[in-house]
Amino acid sequence: MSVETSKGWEPKIVAFACNWCSYAGGDLAGLNRLQYPSNVRIIRVPCSGRIDPQFILRAFMMGADGVLVSG
Amino acid sequence: MKRVGVFVCECGTNIGSVVDAPKVAETALNMPGVAFATSYKYMCSDPGQDLIIKAAEDHNLEQVVVASCSPRMHENTFRKAMSAAGLNPYQFEMVNIREHVSWVHSDKDEATQKAIDLVRMAVAKVVRNKPLQVSYIPVTKKALVIGGGIAGMQAALDIAETGHQVILVEREPTIGGKMAQLDKTFPTMDCSA
Amino acid sequence: MVAVAQHPNIKLYSYSEVVGLSGYIGNFTVTIKEKAKYVDYDKCTGCGLCETKCPSRVKSEFDLGLGERRAIYKAFPQAVPNKPVIDADNCRKLQSGKCGICEKLCPTKAINFEDQDRLVTEEVGAIVMATGYDLFEWEKAYGEYGYGKYPDVISGLHFERLVNASGPTGGKIQRPSDGKIPQAVAFIKCVGSRDDTKGKSYCSRACCMYTAKHAMQVVEKIPDGDAYVFYMDVRTAGKGYEEFYQRSVEQGAQYIRGRVSKIYPRGDRLVVKSEDTLMGKPIEVEVDMVVLATAMVPAAGSAEVAKLIGFSTDKDGFFQEAHPKLQPVETFTGGVYLAGSCQGPKDIPDTVAQASAAAVKVAALFSKDKLATEPMIAYVDETKCTGCEFCVPVCPYQAISMKPVKSRVHGQTVERQVAEVNKGLCQGCGACVAACRPCALNHNGFTSDQIVSEVDALCL
Repeated sequence: MSVETSKGWEPKIVAFACNWCSYAGGDLAGLNRLQYPSNVRIIRVPCSGRIDPQFILRAFMMGADGVLVSG
Repeated sequence: MKRVGVFVCECGTNIGSVVDAPKVAETALNMPGVAFATSYKYMCSDPGQDLIIKAAEDHNLEQVVVASCSPRMHENTFRKAMSAAGLNPYQFEMVNIREHVSWVHSDKDEATQKAIDLVRMAVAKVVRNKPLQVSYIPVTKKALVIGGGIAGMQAALDIAETGHQVILVEREPTIGGKMAQLDKTFPTMDCSA
Repeated sequence: MVAVAQHPNIKLYSYSEVVGLSGYIGNFTVTIKEKAKYVDYDKCTGCGLCETKCPSRVKSEFDLGLGERRAIYKAFPQAVPNKPVIDADNCRKLQSGKCGICEKLCPTKAINFEDQDRLVTEEVGAIVMATGYDLFEWEKAYGEYGYGKYPDVISGLHFERLVNASGPTGGKIQRPSDGKIPQAVAFIKCVGSRDDTKGKSYCSRACCMYTAKHAMQVVEKIPDGDAYVFYMDVRTAGKGYEEFYQRSVEQGAQYIRGRVSKIYPRGDRLVVKSEDTLMGKPIEVEVDMVVLATAMVPAAGSAEVAKLIGFSTDKDGFFQEAHPKLQPVETFTGGVYLAGSCQGPKDIPDTVAQASAAAVKVAALFSKDKLATEPMIAYVDETKCTGCEFCVPVCPYQAISMKPVKSRVHGQTVERQVAEVNKGLCQGCGACVAACRPCALNHNGFTSDQIVSEVDALCL
């Protein structure tokens, strides 16, 4: 891959992460210094059950390119 | 307009070496509702917490955002600092720019931008926080132990010794469990009953 | 054991099971079923006369079928409480109405054939789970060891009964088939443990040590006795454990590194076929008895009791601790703690340590007169609630119930049902909030408005 493409368009990804598992998993990734692309933004929720479908639609409506629900 | 204070932690070099903390604080000052923003080496330390308490007074803050490590680590620390500052501990949000930013990204510009986005997100959330009150429920000071083997017996005896009532339920006609069936036990070879 | 029965603060329900539970940390209501004992413990003196005259003989569960008991029995002479129960399935009087010898003999008239199961309820603030383990049923999995059809292939617990001074043989090691004293005994470790294909993937932790003890007892108790221990690894991580294992080797236990592939009879003896992986050659040993160190598995009924109390189990059915390192005795359910091998295989020292740890957690809880509850939980806007009850089954903690409210509509008082969140039960997951159609439920600290504004702030 050339430098241009890797510095080109990057998707904006919103992740909903359960406080007890996926969010903690994100913490664990940090503890282990696992590198991943920086265009993921994590929103902490108390449980994946808290995620209203409206939140996901809202994210797409506001211009998110991808939504990750994890719990 | 709400009055939010934003505190960006450098965590020594853990955050500071990747995320430009002063820049995050500076950018935060322009976010809606933010009345004060600063960065500091160790927010969780005593001087760090004092910074919150002093700023709360000097700038008449209502809400606080701390951008540092995972809330699973220090959320309670800062909630206590909120109380010490005379603020409701739930008028507080934490931004994870260590585990979720500086430890997993190496590009400084990208990491700083992500930290700014996350702080903006937390500011948007915190201005909608309501003061919450802890409520209290009573405690029945009597314990139930299910199983009368060595584990249940030991737990029951230890609890009973603290002066509390214990109910021990065993499904067999006798307590003792598997241990009562054993002969001498290692490594001391004393009897098990 | 006696200390437990005598402690003024301990109320013992023997021959009883927990059949119901409601409530939450600090405030549980538990229903206990006291099974019918047919013996009035207030009158019974535990003299044991009934036991000697009962005509029904059955295999003793306590002795794992190696000995016999009567239909009215104490599991063993030192049982606590030291009073008998009648096993209704094997009692002639209860089955056919004829007999009643124990009733006639009892000097205190303690026998009561009319006895029934009783339900009692108790209020408690904390629960310690100590349901223990059972042994892996090797008979169902290990064809090469005979599927249990050779009587002289026994488990380690059987061996314990054989060497126990109050056991069926009075502590003499006699093999089950013909009562002969075995001259050579083979021990096989990791039967069901560390065996993904036939048993469990985990190590059962106590077997290396009790096998060392068994081998030592064979060498000590049987003159010129031989003990062969077939092992995969010898794991002796514990204070004084390695020294103990070395003692068993010094006293003459022969350790052979290899997995036994077959046991088959030759005459009245058994041939154990294996490989000595250190020598790199096959090996055959003729022995009189084989003792299997079988895996520990969760006690029968643990899955049901976990479900009843309301906490999770791990992949093997052991009770799940809240954190393997930092919260080893807590569960994810507030006020419920774990002790002993219900949480995972462990030996007696570890069990005792964990039980004391659980007791301290309970004591810490009881040191408070009231408990602070996390305010970041769900709440109901009663004006918006339509009373559809959709949230009630959604809640995994049974925290939502319906309550009537009165309101004035067009000058008239009407009563309607609205949802109510129990602050003690609600764990703040927010599942009900996402499910609520009229948006009457919301979540303190995670309101829909807050999460949407977070989304907006990110997507700017």
